[in-house]
Amino acid sequence: MWEQLIIQPMTNLLLFIYDLLGHGPHTFGLAIILFTIVVRLITWPLNASQVKGAQAMQELQNDKEWQDIQKKYAKDKEKLAQEQMRIYKERGINPFASCLPTLVQFPIIIGLYQSIIRALSVMPLDMLKLARTIYPFQNVEGIIPLNSKFLWMNLGSPESIQVLGFALPTLAIVVALTTYIQSKLTMPTSSNPNDQSAQMSGMMSIYMPLMLGWFALTFASGISIYFITSNLLGIIQYAATGRANWSNLLPGGNKKSVIKKK
Amino acid sequence: MKTKKLILILLLALGALFLSACTGQTPSNTWHGLAADADRAYISTGSFIYAVDLKNGSEVWRYPPKTDSKLLYFANPVLTADGQLLIGSSGKTHDFISLDAATGKEKWAKSFSGARGGWVASPLVINDTIYAPNTDGFLYILDMSGSQSSDPIEIGGTLWSSPVTDGSLIYISSLDHHVYVVDPAKHTVVESSDLGGAIPSSPVVGNDGAYASSLASSIQFAKPGNQPSVVTQTDDRVWGSPILDGQTLYYADLSGNVYSLDLASGNQNWSVQPNGPVVASLLIVGDQIYVTSEADPTSKLGMLIALDREGRTVWSKEVGGKLYTTSVASGDLILVAPFQADYTLAAFDADGKQAWTFKPAK
Repeated sequence: MWEQLIIQPMTNLLLFIYDLLGHGPHTFGLAIILFTIVVRLITWPLNASQVKGAQAMQELQNDKEWQDIQKKYAKDKEKLAQEQMRIYKERGINPFASCLPTLVQFPIIIGLYQSIIRALSVMPLDMLKLARTIYPFQNVEGIIPLNSKFLWMNLGSPESIQVLGFALPTLAIVVALTTYIQSKLTMPTSSNPNDQSAQMSGMMSIYMPLMLGWFALTFASGISIYFITSNLLGIIQYAATGRANWSNLLPGGNKKSVIKKK
Repeated sequence: MKTKKLILILLLALGALFLSACTGQTPSNTWHGLAADADRAYISTGSFIYAVDLKNGSEVWRYPPKTDSKLLYFANPVLTADGQLLIGSSGKTHDFISLDAATGKEKWAKSFSGARGGWVASPLVINDTIYAPNTDGFLYILDMSGSQSSDPIEIGGTLWSSPVTDGSLIYISSLDHHVYVVDPAKHTVVESSDLGGAIPSSPVVGNDGAYASSLASSIQFAKPGNQPSVVTQTDDRVWGSPILDGQTLYYADLSGNVYSLDLASGNQNWSVQPNGPVVASLLIVGDQIYVTSEADPTSKLGMLIALDREGRTVWSKEVGGKLYTTSVASGDLILVAPFQADYTLAAFDADGKQAWTFKPAK
């Protein structure tokens, strides 16, 4: 099921783009970048709804009625939940709207990783599987074997550059940095010092860059190309909505800035 | 807040778990390598190389004594005239080793830190010189003590198959679609022929050239000084090497078609489709052609099938697992090494009777 629904379509889309690009040196890296753009375009409405949902939840934290019921029913959790649901319903807010798109990203990331590994076919069994994965309309003879070189990287292995005798994981650093920038830009400010949602966002902006940076350090560099492209596109998408909070990138910017609205 | 924190941490942990399950390094896993002499079979299964007594299927020795996660052996081990067993690692480290075939003791090991790839292919030994193809596209040249006696020869692409020789020239196929001809006296590539598809298996020498199969669904003939010519087209891609017996060429494709071709006339003698896809090369012993079918379409288990020279099925046996490794003959026995099966090696006689199976002790 996973194979037919995720791995095969993803691998074939990747290889289709790779073939369109002429399957020469460096083209598999470009194929991953284009593939990521396609995936981002497909999931654009989901990401937009995530942004909208997060924004609505954030704005709710600063709402007087919301803050009043928090105080009023602080000791009655059941009643508090009922009141929260009433407000959600009245204002047309789906509290899970910001979570769903994040969950959708996981199978894409996992599928992409498995597709990259299969496409690069490091061992005979991988190539045999690849030959059987490729749809009949594709140019199998021309595509196989894939050229795994992209710039200075082998896309099937973790990346590092030797600097003064040390292996510097440049891609992992860029992944962590772009993830941090993206999460900071998308993090709205709050006037409420006890705002739980803002605290959660703050935690995410620390944990996510560390986690994705660790993935980039450990996994095939092809997946890092996906992360970086995806992060940059996320930043562009958010900036295009006019909601990017650039002042968050500065120290203390989170407290001083004001949420930009359309 | 606590619940939200818990959900967040659980989500992150779940994501980490999913991706960790994919393994950090590029997975190194493929089917077993197999070789045999008159008394023993030698099988490489990843972490270990085993010597198995052909009389009863018992383990004679294993190498290394304890597993080393950085070393993985999948190539067919090569036996030399002076009793060495040669094989390289395709794991994180690319050691190339020589074992004493009698005892399993290491005679020498070279780290090959300069090689950018591992060893999937078996080496070729000619007159006390070892020609070892690496996945980095270079053909490394060693003497029988493991020292690099010459600079490696740059071939190209990724090398997964053992070189073959006609006595003067070396033919080596590459995944970059080419069959290369190397002059060992000059240490250079003297010619290359593009066959239009990746070539994962060795060519076979004959008629002053070499016949090679490829994923371009054809068998082609590469002769030095000439353009490669298509000998025949196949219904599907061909993974295994063709087998030349006199002027008859035998080969099988990934759809499970087995072919016999008369090279003198260029006419196909026959083609049959016994049972399931065929990845391994065919094996000819006496009057029988042994086909190792990857898996029966119904039972999904590997099959060993014996055909006569007219393509008629003499017998077929369910072996188990999946069969990718080319079977090997020794004396009266046909050895097959199933992948992902209850046992690692099985021996059959010419009538299809199973003599024994070998399963490594833990």
